[in-house]
Amino acid sequence: CESELDLEPITSQTADKVFEDPLAYKQFLAKIYGGIAINGQAAGDADIQGIDGNFSNYLRLLFTVQELSTDQAIIAWNDGTIHDIHNHVWTPANEFLSAMYSRIYFQVGMVNQFLRETTEAKLDERGVDTALRAEIQLFRDEARFMRALSYWHGIDNFGNIPFVTETDKVGNFFPEQRSRGEVFEFIESELLEIKDSLLDPRGNEYGRADKAAVWMLLAKLYLNAEVYTGVARYSDALPYIVNVIESGYTLSPNYNYLYLADNDRNGAENEVIFSVLFDGINNAGFGGTTYLTHAAIGGTMNPAEFGVNGGWWGIRTTENFVQKFADISGDTDSRAMFYTDSQTLEIEDPFNFQNGYAVTKYRNVDVNGAIGSDVSGNIVDIDFPMFRLADAYLMYAEVFVRGAGGDQATALNYVNLLRERAYGDTSGNITASELNPDFILDERSRELYWECHRRTDLIRFGQFSSQGIWPWKGNVPEGRTTESFRDLYPIPVADVIANPNITQNDGY
Amino acid sequence: SVSDEVTGDPIFGANVLLKGTSVGATTDLDGNFQIQANQGDILVFSYIGFTTQEIEVVSSVLNVVMSESQNQLDEVVIIGYGSTTVKDATGAIEKVDAEEFNGGVIVSPEQLISGKTAGVNIIPPSGQPGQAGTIRVRGGTSSLNANNSPLIVIDGVPVDQNNTPGSASTPLNSINPNDIESFVVLKDASAAAIYGSRASAGVILITTKSGKLNAPLEVTFGSYASIGSTANRSDVLSAEQFRAAINATGTPEQIALLGNANTDWQDQIFQGAFGTDTNLAISKGYDSSSYRLSLGYLNQEGVLKTSEFERLNAALTFRQNLFDNSLKVDLNIRGAFTTDDFANNSALRSALEFDPTFPVFSGSDLYGGYSEWLQDDGTPLALAALNPLGLLRQNFNTADTERFIGNVKFDYDIPFLKGLKANLILGFDYSKVDGETRTLATSAGGFLNGGSEGTYGSLRRSTLADFYLNYMTELEKMDSKIDLTVGHSYQDFYRENQSFNLTGLGAISETEFATQNSLISYFARFNYVLKSKYLLTLSYRRDGSSRFARENRWGNFLSGALAWSISEEDFLKDSKTISNLKLRLGYGETGQQEIGSDFGFLPVFTPGQDDFRYQFGNEFFNTLRPSGFDSDIKWEESSTYNIGLDFGFLENKIAGSIDYFTRSTSDVLSTISPPAGSNLTNILFTNIGDLESSGIEFSLETDIVRKEQFNWNFGFNVTYLDNEIKKLNSVDDPNSPGIATGPISGGTGNNIQTQKVGEPQNSFLVFEQVYDENGRPIEGEYVDINGDGTVDSADRRIYKNPNADVLLGFSSYTNYKNWDLNFTLRGSLGNYAYNNNDSSLGVASELNRLNSNRNILASYLDTNFQTLQLFSDYYVQDASFLRMDNITLGYNFDNILNGKVDLRLYTTAQNVFVITGYDGLDPEINNGIDNNLFPRPRTFLFGFNANF
Repeated sequence: CESELDLEPITSQTADKVFEDPLAYKQFLAKIYGGIAINGQAAGDADIQGIDGNFSNYLRLLFTVQELSTDQAIIAWNDGTIHDIHNHVWTPANEFLSAMYSRIYFQVGMVNQFLRETTEAKLDERGVDTALRAEIQLFRDEARFMRALSYWHGIDNFGNIPFVTETDKVGNFFPEQRSRGEVFEFIESELLEIKDSLLDPRGNEYGRADKAAVWMLLAKLYLNAEVYTGVARYSDALPYIVNVIESGYTLSPNYNYLYLADNDRNGAENEVIFSVLFDGINNAGFGGTTYLTHAAIGGTMNPAEFGVNGGWWGIRTTENFVQKFADISGDTDSRAMFYTDSQTLEIEDPFNFQNGYAVTKYRNVDVNGAIGSDVSGNIVDIDFPMFRLADAYLMYAEVFVRGAGGDQATALNYVNLLRERAYGDTSGNITASELNPDFILDERSRELYWECHRRTDLIRFGQFSSQGIWPWKGNVPEGRTTESFRDLYPIPVADVIANPNITQNDGY
Repeated sequence: SVSDEVTGDPIFGANVLLKGTSVGATTDLDGNFQIQANQGDILVFSYIGFTTQEIEVVSSVLNVVMSESQNQLDEVVIIGYGSTTVKDATGAIEKVDAEEFNGGVIVSPEQLISGKTAGVNIIPPSGQPGQAGTIRVRGGTSSLNANNSPLIVIDGVPVDQNNTPGSASTPLNSINPNDIESFVVLKDASAAAIYGSRASAGVILITTKSGKLNAPLEVTFGSYASIGSTANRSDVLSAEQFRAAINATGTPEQIALLGNANTDWQDQIFQGAFGTDTNLAISKGYDSSSYRLSLGYLNQEGVLKTSEFERLNAALTFRQNLFDNSLKVDLNIRGAFTTDDFANNSALRSALEFDPTFPVFSGSDLYGGYSEWLQDDGTPLALAALNPLGLLRQNFNTADTERFIGNVKFDYDIPFLKGLKANLILGFDYSKVDGETRTLATSAGGFLNGGSEGTYGSLRRSTLADFYLNYMTELEKMDSKIDLTVGHSYQDFYRENQSFNLTGLGAISETEFATQNSLISYFARFNYVLKSKYLLTLSYRRDGSSRFARENRWGNFLSGALAWSISEEDFLKDSKTISNLKLRLGYGETGQQEIGSDFGFLPVFTPGQDDFRYQFGNEFFNTLRPSGFDSDIKWEESSTYNIGLDFGFLENKIAGSIDYFTRSTSDVLSTISPPAGSNLTNILFTNIGDLESSGIEFSLETDIVRKEQFNWNFGFNVTYLDNEIKKLNSVDDPNSPGIATGPISGGTGNNIQTQKVGEPQNSFLVFEQVYDENGRPIEGEYVDINGDGTVDSADRRIYKNPNADVLLGFSSYTNYKNWDLNFTLRGSLGNYAYNNNDSSLGVASELNRLNSNRNILASYLDTNFQTLQLFSDYYVQDASFLRMDNITLGYNFDNILNGKVDLRLYTTAQNVFVITGYDGLDPEINNGIDNNLFPRPRTFLFGFNANF
């Protein structure tokens, strides 16, 4: 009767059972893509534990590390050590950094497991037919893109990081820590391997990666190579940027269309290379663009205009960012999207939402002002443009101003295309002499704010820690410079304790 | 022959002595004896556990019925798969009988023994009627994240230790307290080890009442009515103070929001809570059979309006002896139907926060007529506090629970070997919860999503089959007694939960979960008594659990105990002063397999719900997630040493015991962060830690006065406890702040406690507050502990913990003529609490949030804090207390209907007073974080019991 102890799970299922359904492979792939957008499997069943499920949303955490740590955003809430991020006093025990790190390894783990479950041997064992096999091969390459994306976030934020692939077993072992350069090489080799096997740009289902996404990630890797490896490789970025630009993407007619509930069909989708998808009915949880919309509303702002049922009185911006615009009304440069009524420009009290101008970028309404699909106004439909053409234009211009290739007329043209869209005419166009590194950094800020690029940009331009001052940086109202070791976040204390192979980043 | 009055069993080994001589005999296995005696001689019958009788010889055949002794030492104690007597017990075992039970409104049986035994702490439930308390045996510190609640065994059937929604959340509260005969607590591991992998947190054995053989028809009927009210309320700013605060700190817009009313919202949500409980029991015994039938109906309102608990239960026990009493069959079935009306508890917080200058009703018909925070367009303001009374009256949550628990026992005397018995127990436990929730679309809270309707439910099913052989014999030549038990046990558990919710907008959320586990065990126990004074017990259990992989599935749990009845030695035997002295030494190994997951060792996929789908193209896909797992997961193992001394002086007028124990637990399951990348999850439940705890228990019972007309018995117990985390990670870093735990309100994701090596469990991790010369805390000023010039999160240090150093219990029983007066007091020293209510609701910044004014707690007037100071040690407060749990005054009428009826009238006051220096609502807080807003009621009741 001891076989009575060999029980099978009832609701949750073993791999063999699950993959009897051919659809399971695509559902697993949906988990990998959805890992950036969705908190978990159900309310109360988040992928990342030890922190509130809404906090552990990948995109929300990416915003925390990339935006809250900069002049573009500050938060009013009292949640744990959230203020330490903007204040540049984070410690290795910071739970938001820990959650970001965990999210990265959750993604890596999902992809590794997907690759283990889809080996030739496993597919043979399960008798998978040829048609499905071909599809699964494409899934595998896309999964590897998603792993490369997360490993990129890993080295960008944390430097030297533990390294695991599908050849490791699942258990409780001590992964080796690889240097930032070594992981860089792995990401590069992965992307080079899959770059020809993914579908052509805009040839895949909406939401899934294609060649252009791979090129864009390769270009971003090379653009930041000097930071990651000490060796500048701006010129290596250029061909991939050009590939992207020549793939038929077009700028959204209006800048603000990129951040509306219908940005998957209002024309803005033609500018977007890789998007993280959200939906008011099919996604629950307060992460991603739901957070970016609600948390940015407070004070005397009217939530109805944003297609949501209420403000969360959380994130707004600092005067340093506001000052990037000569006219903040939005009348000249339409990218200046601020709400200033009963908001002060100065931030006397970081916990007071009405200190600092509010940002009105993300709105859960369509081009006609109609609310998104969740009529209760909780969850938004706005897809998040992770990679888009405007970014590629600015990357081209940056490679050029760094003297690594490209030509001036093209670079200038790309920048001015963005400014013409922003100004509605050529009045904001710049001349060749104005095209310099400082301009590029500021223009990237104006064009790409609150899209999770800022910290990486500031570091590439040497303006993040020991240079550059904005309110409350360094935990003082007027701001101060901080230690240069803060260009890297610390390896979370939990992993330093858990894994004897880990050496903490200098300074922590 | 000699037989047992209750069971009808022959008594084997009883001594028969011809009075005044040394001529004697012993009864054989059939209870028969032979002795040479003359008519008119007196025979003395004695047997352990039974009252000695002197009987005159009137015929050549004497049938003697012996009854169980009221002598404490001879009392029979159930010990799991058998029984022993207090005298022969070798472990730290404590029995509490019905006559010692607490009085009052007792819905869940564990309250019956609250304060009665050393080393057992029962934290009463909140004010929600029908809820059970939390039981902690010996501090409940044998585990961090698995289970610290003891295994409950009802009439031999271990009950499911998992929680369910609704009233079935506790294994106990569907049992009618009136049906319980006794509790036995197996505190030390040498006693508990027979329950192996489930025994680490202690074992509580509950015996229910049953009928007795050869007993006349007995009918007991009792009823009481009770009225309860809040014993304490939260101290919020009055409407006047609130106006003054808003006028002083608010903007003109905020001041303009003030209303003209003066509403005490706590007055609005609380009520006098009525309750009744009525019980009827009928029992009768025949020559070879007996039965007892009981019925009970309880109805209990909560002090929070709309909360109510109702329970109807019935129990039947039936015994039939067959084949000349060689086969005994016991049937035991009990059923309970409970209905919970759960009040919307968010009204408790809302009653503190909602603007006291608002009237209860707005005068308009909108939102049920309740005044609410509205926007300019007249729609409710999202995230504002909601009208407390509106929350209670416009939200509904009821759950119907049915629970059946029962067993049938066969006890057979195997004919070919005298003294050998076979026992078979088949048991089941079934509970089903059906709950319904509803939020009115017309309420302010339901306005946005058009209201909602939902259902939830759960089902628990467990079956048990135990078979064991017991062999008892006496080796006269060696002056020894042997008692050997060998057995096998199988138990399985099935659980499912489901929920469904539909909003007025058509949004559906649905969950469903089902799981199972099983246990197979082999066990053996060997008792050896030499010369009635040297006692040895050895036990062994081998447990197999489906919760672990094959390689880790089986565990062995050993125990050994020695006892020496010193008072049986010649030099003390005749002592008038020392009537009992027994030294006990014990060692035991126990395990914990309640690890929170049934398939933690297996790689499984969890499907995503419909509202957690991801889009490809125009299609939405449910996702599949492979869960993290630890294929090596296994039980936690504890080893406990116990040394104890039982003593009794002056014919046991003063009796008690003292025990010292030390327990170390290894392979403690902790939710650690596995090395990043090594698993599919960031939090892995794995065997990683070591814990240590120790304690001293002392209990004393004294008959201060024992006279015909006046008796006074006083009991006292004290427990000293200590615990320390010895290891918690693969690599322990002394500089690590530990694993954060203890979530608090006031921002999401804040934790106030830590699990750190070298410290007690759940220690508070806080800043050291700096005070001004008047002793007022200076806002935001903390000591720079590490001296690095700035105060940041690295300066939080460990300060106090919620575990009590000392627990106290006092019981008094007095009767004078027909009057009786009993009370129980309970105390706790050295337990600290984090006052999260004050820290999150007692600062000026909370006066206006999210466009609405909110009331705050009056602790603001002491601190004058403008913004939240969540991590200040100011809020870690000494929560030592002394509480009078209950006091009962009763009167017994004689001679009603010629003595055929015993009638007792009584009145009880519960939760009479609490002496404490703690500022919050109630100092008794389970985990040390005071978010409690539900005051425990103070209750008065009046009732009667009648026996016919």
